[in-house]
Formats: sequence, C-alpha cells, structure tokens
Amino acid sequence: MTEGVVLEGRGLVKRFGRTVALDGVDLAVRGGEAVAIMGPSGSGKSTLLHCLAGIMRPDAGEVTLLGRRVDGMRERERSALRRSRFGFVFQFGQLLPELPAEENVALPLMLGGVPRARAVQQARTWFGPLGLGGMEGQRPGELSGGQAQRVAIARALVTGPSVVFADEPTGALDQATGHDTMHTLVTAAAHNGASLVVVTHDPQVARWCHRVVEVRDGRLLPGHTPSPEFSGGGAR
Amino acid sequence: MSAAVTIAWRLLRGGGRRGLIGAGLTLAAVAVSTAFLMFTVAVNVAFEHRADREAWRNPVPADAARAVAVQGVRRDFFQGRMITVAEVAALRPGVAPPPGAARFPAPGEAWLSPALAALVRETPPDRLGGRFPNVAGTLAGETLVHPGELVAVLGRAPDDPALAPGRGGDGVAPTPVADFTGRHGADAVAYQSLALVAGVLMVVPLLVFSGAAARLTVARRDQRLAALRLVGATPGQVVGMTVVEAILLALAGAVAGVAGYLAMTPLLARITVAGGTWFVADLWPGVLITFGVLLAVPLLVGASAVLGLRRVVVSPLGVARRETPPGMRVLRVVAFLAVVGAFPVLGRGNAGVVVVAVALALPFLAVNLVGPWVVALIGRVMAGTARRPAWLLAGRRLVDDPRSAWRTVGGVALTGFVAGFVGLLSPSAGLLGDAPADRLRLGVPAAQAATVQAGAERRLRAAGVPARVTVTGTGDRRLVEVTPEPAATPGSTGGSPREGSPEVLERARTALDGLVPGRGASTPAEDDLPGMLLLGDIRTGTVVVLAVSLLVATTSAGITAASSVLDRRQTYALLRLAGTPLSVLDRARRSETLVPLVVMGGGSVATGMFCALPFVYAGLNVTGVLALGVCVVGGFAGVVGAGALSSPLLRSVTANPGPRPD
Repeated sequence: MTEGVVLEGRGLVKRFGRTVALDGVDLAVRGGEAVAIMGPSGSGKSTLLHCLAGIMRPDAGEVTLLGRRVDGMRERERSALRRSRFGFVFQFGQLLPELPAEENVALPLMLGGVPRARAVQQARTWFGPLGLGGMEGQRPGELSGGQAQRVAIARALVTGPSVVFADEPTGALDQATGHDTMHTLVTAAAHNGASLVVVTHDPQVARWCHRVVEVRDGRLLPGHTPSPEFSGGGAR
Repeated sequence: MSAAVTIAWRLLRGGGRRGLIGAGLTLAAVAVSTAFLMFTVAVNVAFEHRADREAWRNPVPADAARAVAVQGVRRDFFQGRMITVAEVAALRPGVAPPPGAARFPAPGEAWLSPALAALVRETPPDRLGGRFPNVAGTLAGETLVHPGELVAVLGRAPDDPALAPGRGGDGVAPTPVADFTGRHGADAVAYQSLALVAGVLMVVPLLVFSGAAARLTVARRDQRLAALRLVGATPGQVVGMTVVEAILLALAGAVAGVAGYLAMTPLLARITVAGGTWFVADLWPGVLITFGVLLAVPLLVGASAVLGLRRVVVSPLGVARRETPPGMRVLRVVAFLAVVGAFPVLGRGNAGVVVVAVALALPFLAVNLVGPWVVALIGRVMAGTARRPAWLLAGRRLVDDPRSAWRTVGGVALTGFVAGFVGLLSPSAGLLGDAPADRLRLGVPAAQAATVQAGAERRLRAAGVPARVTVTGTGDRRLVEVTPEPAATPGSTGGSPREGSPEVLERARTALDGLVPGRGASTPAEDDLPGMLLLGDIRTGTVVVLAVSLLVATTSAGITAASSVLDRRQTYALLRLAGTPLSVLDRARRSETLVPLVVMGGGSVATGMFCALPFVYAGLNVTGVLALGVCVVGGFAGVVGAGALSSPLLRSVTANPGPRPD
C-alpha cells in the first residue's frame, strides 16, 4: 500500500426504480490497498462494487481507474477493461463446470489473445503456490469449496490486474476454510501488487483488509477500522 | 402422492416469470408435436377410409351359384381428368344396389357422382353428356374417394357386350360378384403403404421432440428438486413431483395440440392427394385414437422426465456437484452399426410394408442412439485442438453434456436421415416420359381393327369431327388411333398438332363412346395419368414429410437453445461480468451447435441414403437431389436462425448480472 489512488468513485448515485441504492458515495482505493465494504443486506454495497468495477453505470457521479474515466466508456471498452485490469472472485458459481481447473484459470489469458498452450502453462504456475498442486486437471465439481475459491483467486490474478473485486468470497464456506481463503486472497493480491475491494457482511472477513468502509441506505459511513488480522506478505 | 401433487403444483405456479416462460415453451413444444402426431396418424386413417370407400370397385369374384351381379370397371377421361366408370348388371331381381346408388341401375341408366353430374350439365352434350344419355340419379358421397371425384355407375343388361367375360383393357374385367363389398385396390394399398412409411419417418422426430421438451422441464427443475432431496424428500416423492408436473404440462399441451389439429382439419382437407381433396370427416382419426394420443403423449413425456431425473434421484448432490461426466458407451456405436448393417437384409425382397416400416424405424432410432456418442467425440476433438476460447468452451461443453447438445441438433440431423432416404427414393418427374395428348387410342384385337377403324371414321364423320384414323401395332392387339385434324381445330392457329383443342378431342371421344364395348378412347398421356398422379403425390409427400420434419426440428432447436441459455444464465452472466465479450459466448454457442450439426447431419443423410439403397430402382433424380439440397440448406439455416433468436435472450440474462440493490 505504497502507491497513490488507483480506483476512485466520486458522488456515485444509482437508483433501481424508486429504490435509491447509492446516494452520493465517494470512495478511493490506493495501489495495493485492501478495502472491505460492509453493510447489512440491501444497503447498496454490491451495487457500489458493480459501479466501481464498470459492471454497472452509475446514474450520476464518476469512476476513474488510474485517472481514466470508466463510467463514460462503452460496454465493449468496459468489458475489455474488466478482462485486463480487474479480477473477480464471487461467492460461488464463477468457475465453468465443463472446464478443468487449469483451463478455468487460463481462460482470461486466452480471451486476451494469449495462445492456449502458453496460457495453460502460465495458469499452471499458480497451482503450487496456492496449495492446489496436482489439481490442475480436476473439474470444479471435483474440488472442495475452498479449493474452488482458490482456483477462482488464481483466475482473478492471472492477468496481473490492478484491482481484484471479491463479492462475499467466503459466503459459502465454513469459518476455517473462509479464513484460509481470505488469507490466500489478501496475500496473493498483495504479492502481485493488486488492490483488493471486498464486499462482505462478515466482520471476520473485513478484518483481513487495511480499511473497512460501511454502507448504510446507499451512503458511506465514516469510520475506518484498521484490521488486526491483516498480515500483508505474499502467498507466492 | 397427494403431497407430491400439491408441491408439484406449487413448483409449477411458483416458478416466476422465467419458470412460466419455460413451462410455456414445454407446453408449446408438446402441443406442436401432438398436433403433428395427430396429423400423421389421421393421414393413415384417412387413406384407410378412402380405400374402404373405393373397395367396391375392386370386386371379389364369386362362383356362379353365389353371383348376383356382374361388375366391370374402366377408366374414361374428360380434359385430362379421370372418370371411373363402373358397369353393372343384375343377374336376378332384388339385388342390393352398388354403394351410393339409391336403387340398382336399370340397363341404359347412368348414376353420376355430384361433380360429374355438374360437369355434364355445364358441358355441351357432344363433348361429355353423350356418353351418359340417360342420367337416372346422383351417387351419394359414401362411394367417392374424394369430394370432387368423377364416377359413373352404368346399368347394363347381363348379356351386354360391355360385360362379356374376358373383355380386356384397363380397369377391372367384368366379374361375377355376390355383393358390392370388394377389397382394397392396388393403388389404395400403395398409398396406404407410402402413408405408413411417411408416418414412421415423421413419428420418430415427433416423439424425440416430445421427449426433449420433457427433459427441458427437468433441466429447469433439477436444482430445486435436488434441494428437495437434500431436505429429506424420498426418491419416490421427487419422481412423483416431477412426473406429476411433466404430465400436467404435457396433458395441457396434448389437449391444445389435438384442438389445434382439429381446428386445422378444414384447411388440411384441401390438400390434393390422388387427384382430389379430402372429406373433412376422413381426417378425424376417431375417438379411440384421439384418446390414445392424449394418453400416450403425457405418459411418454412423464417417462422422459423420470429418465432425466435419474441423477438427482441417485444422489441429492448429483446436480449441485458437477463431476467429470461418464463417457458415452461404445455400445451405442455397436448397436448403430448392427442395425444399419442389418437393414438391407430386413428391407430386401418381398418384405411386407409393416416389416419395412419397422425396419425403417430402427436405423432412425439408431441414429438417435449414436448421436450423443458422436457429439462427445466431436467435443473431445474440438477441446483437444482448440486455440481460441470460443472453440475450447464449445468443445468442453459438448464433452460435458453431449445429450443436451444432441437435443439441439438431433431433430435436424434426423431430418437429414429422412431427406437422405426419400432423396434417393423420390421418383423423377420424367420417369414416365412425356406422352402425347393430341390423339385418342382404342386397343382392339387384331381381327377387329379394320371394323373398328371403319366404325370410327363413320361416327366421327357423323359428329362433324374431321380426324385421321389409323391402325398401328403388330401382333394380336392393335391400336386404332384417332388424330383430330389441326386445320379443323378451332382455337388452334397453325400450331403443332399437339396443341389440338381439348374440345375437339372430347367431341371425338364422345362420338367414339361405345364403339368398342366396355372400353373408352384415351390419349397416351391419359393412360399414364394414374402413374403420374402417384409419382406427383410421392413428390408432394416427400415435401410434406421434409417440411414437417424441418419445422419440428427447427422449433426443437429453438426451444432447446433458449432453454440452454436459461439453464446456464448464471455462468454466462458471471463470465460476461468478468469481461468475456458477448461475441465469444455467442461464438461458443454457435460452434457447439453447428459443428455437431454438420457432422451428424452429413452422417444422417448418408445413413438415410444407405437405407434407401435396397429400394432404389431408378437412380438419383432431380427432385430427390433438390429435396435433399433444400433440406440441408433449410436445416442449417433453421438451426442458425434458432440459435440467433436466443441471442437477445443471452444478452438479456447477462446484461444485468447484479440486479439486486444490495
């Protein structure tokens, strides 16, 4: 966490019908920083993540990545940006069930134009350091929940993104596995110089981050909690 | 069981908008296939009805002691239309009349079908009416093959030369009969056989289609049902719920399909087959068959649903945990090769039409059996050689679920089988040549040729028809040929003699009527007419079978493609969210459909052609090749179109991956 602001949202407003999901949110994420977005169900935390990641266009306000406006981009450009500059880890379901683990990890590289053999070779280098050695050929259905999340982490980081977005990454895991997964996620992101934005309602998860912001009724509450569990360091 | 029904009903109602769309698609699929199934069965019944009504014209000979009448049947013509003329003579008083006549025609009387009676009224007597000078009544519909059929029943004395034993010529020679029941004629049997083969060719894709529709229901429900297993529902309860849901939907679809078919019958009755349209009543297959269809379709759909559920029932985690799929068994290929290899033996020689129909259904089913195996093989090859993500995704998807991919392309591939089969069998239009229609001929024994020639010249002169009368041929039989002179033909302004006026030809024919007892004059083209009608109808049948198969297959492909998008919406949405371009997802979907389609479509066409080989006697022809080409292009375009139609759906389900305001 040594660099300047990488990703920034200013005055973000998003409405769904008459429901105001975001009501003028400002949030800046610095290089290498891990930020947890917390809040109860329906508070707008996932909407904030989707706006920051260029998945959704805010109704008002702006999002910039390294000083470049994201919200004004066309869908095709935002899609390319998500592919190359962002990584994603979700609660479940993000791995393609038909593809072996190594091809799941190699897919973003192939989508970016890397030849298949090289992409798979590059993907394989992630398995050992993440404790997945020997599971390269396994399909997602043959992996445990924690293993599948580590494959997803490898896939999120394989392209060398600036920011990794994680939406309830431990939501489907037990406490011990969730702990391991967060450790892997935070350390691997830090090791690769990626910032991390984690949406969670679990304080145990949030404690892995440098900073915690809380969303209530579409607004960001002040109060930045340092994380006692954050250990920095690298997994690789 | 009542709990299962209640929960199934709740699942059906509580499926939300997407669930309702899915249920609607399934219902529509079952309705369409039921309507076509009814049509397929009804056509066979309709030909049976026609054959029954026509049977009295093919008399069964009776011995002298039992004979009550003599009956001969011949063909007459009017301007290219065939008139069936039955000549009857009662051998004793009080004989029951032929079907359709109110009483037995007295000698010299003519009873005409309504269409012929109208034609006689509208035409100058010297062209047609002269052949039936004493019209005594109109025949009822029960004796007619089709509403517009031209039929005349002529009363004769038992000793009339027209009914002399051994009279040759076309039609049925004079036969002593005990009654007017008769038996099915050769043409009727040919039509029934062809309808049966067409039925088999259409029924299999329809059944496959219904089955696919049922599996779609299960595919949508499997996650929910697996959840029910996880909370403790027994396998029996899960099966019960699924079967109840599938059967409820299928029953509604089947009722809609039967209603749709019945609503369409007045239109379907206007299709011309064997020279005429249909009585609407012919297309009603009867209460028993209709109830049979209404019972069979939901049962079949229910059975398909159970098969589709097998994995969920075996393990509650079967759906939630996606594991490496078991390989498709090579046994499928062995079975396919065995069936296709045995077909030429089964279909050879004098095998009955039912045996051939069954034998035809087997390779058809075998193609369906081997399809998923080939799809999985294609998937392995694609995944192994893929350099681009779309190709890799498509290949892995085919390996993962070859049955699902086969459901999308299977219908069209099976249509390829039909096209290959009928493409070889469909007769060429030129098979019978292009016979002249400008001269009339009368076949006579050689000894009578000169007398008949002189009689013809005398009658034509008396009627004022200038014509050249010649005798041709050698041997025992001669042809007395009458060619109206072109110069005297009104309306023919110096054209070729072939363009002779039909009116003059009919005047000549009417003048010659009765010259040779029991035999009318006809042009060479008219002599070929029954054969031409049959060939034309085979071509029409080919087009109908292919059109129906293609329509069913394309609809099936469309429904399956849409359902596949709905089933995989979460994966697609997350992929797009992570930056995968929509074009890559679309390309992957296209590849996973088109590659198996090309391979299996080609393979099915080849299998169909192979199976048709034992029956080929005239070689390939333009119609067949054209039908094949249209089918290949239509099938390809249909599946591409069906896939393209689900692209907006893909866009819609991936457009907003995080709709919740959380």
